[in-house]
Amino acid sequence: MASQSFLDRHHFLLRRLHSLTGIVPIGVFLIAHLTTNSSLLWGKAGLRGTGDHYSFGKDGVTLLEGGVAYFQKEVTWINEQVPHLLLIELTLWLSIAFHAVLGVIYARTGRANTSRYEYQSNWRYRLQRLSGYLGILFIFYHVATLRWGWTFLVPGGTAWSHDFAASTLAAAIRGSETGFTAAGFAVALLYFLGVTLLVFHFANGLWTAAITWGLTISQRAQERWGYACFALGAGLMVMGWASLLGAVMIDPAKARAVEQSIQEGKVGESLAGQADR
Amino acid sequence: MAQQRVIIVGGGLAGLAGSVRLAEAGVHVDLFSLVPVKRSHSVCAQGGINACNDVARQQGYSEYEHFDETIYGGDFLADQHPVLEMANWAPKIIDLLDRMGVPFNRTSEGFRDLRLFGGSLFKRTHFAGATTGQQLIYALDEQARRYESEGKVTKYEYWEFLRPVIEEGRCVGIVAQDMRTMQIRAFRADAVVMATGGCGLVYGKSTNSIICTGAAAARCFKAGAWYGNPEMIQVHPTAIPGADKLRLMSESARGEGGRVWVPRKPGDSRDPKNIPDAERWYFLEEKYPAYGNIVPRDIATREIFDVCVNQGLGVGGENSVYLDLTHRDPEYLQRKLGGILEIYEKFVGVDPKRTPMKIFPAVHYSMGGLFTTFAKGRYNPTQPLPKHKSGSAAPLGAEVGLGMAMGEFANAQTNIPGLYAFGEVNFAYHGANRLGANALLSCIFDGLFCGVSVANYVRDGAPKARPHDQIPQGAFDREVEIEARRYKELAASASRSGDEKTNPYAIHRELGNEMTAACTVVKSESRLVQCLEKIAELRERFSRVAVSDAAAWTNQTLNYARAVGDMLIVAEAIAKGSIARKESRGAHYRTDYPTRDDANYMKTTLAKYDEGTDSVTVEFAPIDASLIAPTARTYGKTDKKDAKPVAAGV
Amino acid sequence: MLNFSPSEGSAAAAAARRASAKPGRTIRVSVKRCEGPGQDSRWETFSVKVDRGANVISVLQQIAANPVTVEGKRTTPVVWDSGCLEEVCGACTMVINGKVRQSCSCLMDEYAPGEGDEITLEPMTKFPVVRDLWVDRSRLFHNLARVKAWVPIDGTYYLGAGPREKPQQQEVRYKLSECMSCGCCLEACPQFNLEENPADWNTAFIGAHAISQARLFNEHETGKALRDERLEVLMGPGGVSDCGNAQNCVKVCPKHIPLTESIASVGRAVTLHGLTRWFKA
Ligand SMILES: Cc1cc2nc3c(=O)[nH]c(=O)nc-3n(C[C@H](O)[C@H](O)[C@H](O)COP(=O)(O)OP(=O)(O)OC[C@H]3O[C@@H](n4cnc5c(N)ncnc54)[C@H](O)[C@@H]3O)c2cc1C
Ligand code: SF4
Ligand code: SF4
Ligand code: FES
Repeated sequence: MASQSFLDRHHFLLRRLHSLTGIVPIGVFLIAHLTTNSSLLWGKAGLRGTGDHYSFGKDGVTLLEGGVAYFQKEVTWINEQVPHLLLIELTLWLSIAFHAVLGVIYARTGRANTSRYEYQSNWRYRLQRLSGYLGILFIFYHVATLRWGWTFLVPGGTAWSHDFAASTLAAAIRGSETGFTAAGFAVALLYFLGVTLLVFHFANGLWTAAITWGLTISQRAQERWGYACFALGAGLMVMGWASLLGAVMIDPAKARAVEQSIQEGKVGESLAGQADR
Repeated sequence: MAQQRVIIVGGGLAGLAGSVRLAEAGVHVDLFSLVPVKRSHSVCAQGGINACNDVARQQGYSEYEHFDETIYGGDFLADQHPVLEMANWAPKIIDLLDRMGVPFNRTSEGFRDLRLFGGSLFKRTHFAGATTGQQLIYALDEQARRYESEGKVTKYEYWEFLRPVIEEGRCVGIVAQDMRTMQIRAFRADAVVMATGGCGLVYGKSTNSIICTGAAAARCFKAGAWYGNPEMIQVHPTAIPGADKLRLMSESARGEGGRVWVPRKPGDSRDPKNIPDAERWYFLEEKYPAYGNIVPRDIATREIFDVCVNQGLGVGGENSVYLDLTHRDPEYLQRKLGGILEIYEKFVGVDPKRTPMKIFPAVHYSMGGLFTTFAKGRYNPTQPLPKHKSGSAAPLGAEVGLGMAMGEFANAQTNIPGLYAFGEVNFAYHGANRLGANALLSCIFDGLFCGVSVANYVRDGAPKARPHDQIPQGAFDREVEIEARRYKELAASASRSGDEKTNPYAIHRELGNEMTAACTVVKSESRLVQCLEKIAELRERFSRVAVSDAAAWTNQTLNYARAVGDMLIVAEAIAKGSIARKESRGAHYRTDYPTRDDANYMKTTLAKYDEGTDSVTVEFAPIDASLIAPTARTYGKTDKKDAKPVAAGV
Repeated sequence: MLNFSPSEGSAAAAAARRASAKPGRTIRVSVKRCEGPGQDSRWETFSVKVDRGANVISVLQQIAANPVTVEGKRTTPVVWDSGCLEEVCGACTMVINGKVRQSCSCLMDEYAPGEGDEITLEPMTKFPVVRDLWVDRSRLFHNLARVKAWVPIDGTYYLGAGPREKPQQQEVRYKLSECMSCGCCLEACPQFNLEENPADWNTAFIGAHAISQARLFNEHETGKALRDERLEVLMGPGGVSDCGNAQNCVKVCPKHIPLTESIASVGRAVTLHGLTRWFKA
């Protein structure tokens, strides 16, 4: 009962913090995270001509090689240049936990009725809750396996390493260091679902937040903002899927070669400036 | 000393206005209603509420003119002093409603907008979209809710009033039944106010809500309260025929320029939009060039009736005429009449902004009702004035406070002390015909003005010596006992196997058909006598009525059947009053006595219930006509075909 | 593809159905019945002959006059709530063919245009059933008192006119003021659920209609006096933050009240009120 009255006493504050944490830091992080990860596919462009060092074939640097290199530089930059990383991570984890716990409590106050009122907005309401429930499970799996090193949950047992970012990622998602396994396929599917749901959750949450906070009042404003959120969501969705596609397509062994060459400083300085923009 | 308590039965405009006024005066109010008060029939009112206003005043209108119009419109049957006072209060009532937050339509400068309504050449009708009644009742409901949350008003919603408790010759409480648990019990009070509205359901289908049975008034009538002018039933000229109800098409449709016509060729089956102007007959404009389409209701109704029934010129040979708004800008119509036009579109499936509506008259309002008294104010010209000349100044001394004496116990009191009647349920103000947008006014006026009388009565009248808590319990037990028995007998009838003859629904249907045929637009002695016979037959059948539900919980069938029995009494009073009044006046039109007879019938029809014979007797009582001398009520009817229609901008 | 519209369904399709309706046809009406609180429900089906213009009310009236099911079993008349029969009193709300709406404006020509077509009538689910189709909506009115939905006038003595008002402002208030407390918005709302115990009414979700009424009175010059009190209630448990933005309310509202705009508008008001309160106190 005590927790009930605490919730009631700070009802408004908690509700608004719940909404706020979804945007800052969680939403902002999501954007940054997907931007970084999707560089697996677009990273070659980011290298802007200096990527020849990563070419292991006679046709010059491939798309994936460029992606792996760029991604690695990003990861390294984050790990080495961003101050108080642990503090940031802790804040993020706490925010997610806060958002998730309250979200579950709040979601339990509703009773979905899409079978009777099959309106699109009602489906969004329902999906928002569903994506919240499933999304948090996915985030937990994602962070536990790739960040906290709970390798027993990873088919193939690969532990993610920020020195070998792309190759270990690819191995973890494909289910083994070598080829695609059935379990790996399940993990990839899980990622696909997780990323999709979370991006929806964020975009739709951003749309409703504008109503909750009273930014969009008129019907027209709500519509306009709806299209804006849709565009943002679509963009993030593409990035999310690109990240996954990249991870699935990358051959861990080849990626490792690229990463190895970075580790060995073969290409070192010339690129450092490039990667951290 | 115990807190004074007043019971108000009915939470329409009249009951709510009374509740607010009494609660404010420090008297506790127990408010009874068949439905949550917010859902009372007053929500249906569409057009507006009349009051003299600054613009009209500068064009020559005045409260006195409003009074004069109301008397003239009512064909000189109303007691005149109360009408004067009501007209005097009207502008103050609008201001009060305005303060309560009623969203009256506004001019571009932010003043209250006005519209033209039947029976006046001045714009003096205030309105809130096309749902004025709804907006007014909400404002009062909100104030009542405020007092309720302060504990000054207690609501008994879904409680049905069954009878007044009369002891020592005055009303000291009521017996009522919870419509859910079916519990019957008595409630004590220092005074009881009936504000139970009209009796349209006596006619089966009407423009009224499904709860407007008139049963509550009938129960007071049987307990000894007199009924005034029962035969004065207003038939509204424009309603939309329907399976369950005849939905009103407000007079404001004509006020905003709606034109009534029929094709000149009988049975013309062309699309109305393809009928050229020359082949249309705008019969109201032709016959009444001054008022045109906004002649008062009784006149418009009879003309439409005449065109369809007697001349066979109804649209497609049926009983309907066109009400045409298609010449007005659709956007303007949407803004001014959106609500009522939506009703038409919703229930008929045709957009009246583009296609002329088909309408026909329907029973709408009961001018008659429980007889009430009043205390004259000080305004007393030595001679009754002739009809006030439109535009001339009001006579000196006619101003506020002088039509009725404020706070006197007698105001709005029935012949039973302590039993008051407010709103449509009483017989006051409207005489033989009510002007559009005057009913809302009279309801609120009763609540506010006569509410003070009730407060004074419970403080300084008989209840002062003997407050409600000192009345012996036996008086209440006795009345509860009677109702419990009546209820038990009805419930027991469920075990009988009924047939069409004893089915309450069938009895009601037949009553409605009979009353509509005999007691509406045109009446005659022979038809009325036949009608009385039918009522007698129905009453006999009702004595054997068999209901189809014996449940002891939320038994609507029983409540309904009981009300049907009471409606039969009202019907008898209407028919007998119609027979007794051997003249034509206002809404009461007798083919066998087609003219007004002031010498014999400028009097109130007083119906009384005779317990011995279980029947209605009728007599006539003098009225107060001391302010305006009667004149012919013609509304400038001419037979010239090319007279000008009334200028809408006046 | 994306749909943010406040209304669903096509008027043209409805009109076509109406036009296709056959006069004098017989339809089937299934009613979910319940003898009283705490009792089991059962379905009963009636066959009813209808003509043009018939609505749910006239159909129920016909059944009441002769309550015999299709199996030929004599039963009791159906209990239901109604008043104006023209969609302004808010009494006759029911769940018809699975969706909530007013029954008086529900035309058989549209819902059952063909011979033998069936419609189903159920009571609202978010309020306790009294009997058959009649539910107890006290909570709805209680919630109006919760947000002090009134203008705190000084009294009924004559004090002159109310505040002047621009026509644009009047139009906004008028629209909001048309709410007839029917409860459709509550029945369709996934966040508004049955609360049998009145003790819980002050913390359970207040519903779109009360939020909208709070906005109505906050928009009035004199009504503003209670603005902070209303906002405090709406910031608390069961207040506006409990809305999940499913936006069903606005789609089922028979009066087309812009409920989602009201929710956003009150959202803005509580945001600002929360901030200023934080800096003030
Ligand atoms: C369609 C229509 C449109 C109209 N338009 C206008 C207009 O534009 N302008 C105008 O001035 N007038 C108009 N009128 C007339 C006006 O609306 C009514 O005369 C007026 O609303 C009556 O109000 P009231 O308070 O007397 O009664 P009502 O509003 O009818 O209220 C009666 C109350 O009594 C209660 N009650 C009844 N019987 C019992 C019982 N046995 N036990 C307990 N409670 C009971 C009911 O529950 C209800 O609360 C219109 C009327 C209709 C039908
Ligand atoms: S928008 Fe809010 S109030 Fe409306 S249905 Fe959705 S959750 Fe309920
Ligand atoms: S907002 Fe609409 S749906 Fe809700 S109670 Fe009011 S009128 Fe009914
Ligand atoms: S009966 Fe009044 S809304 Fe349907």
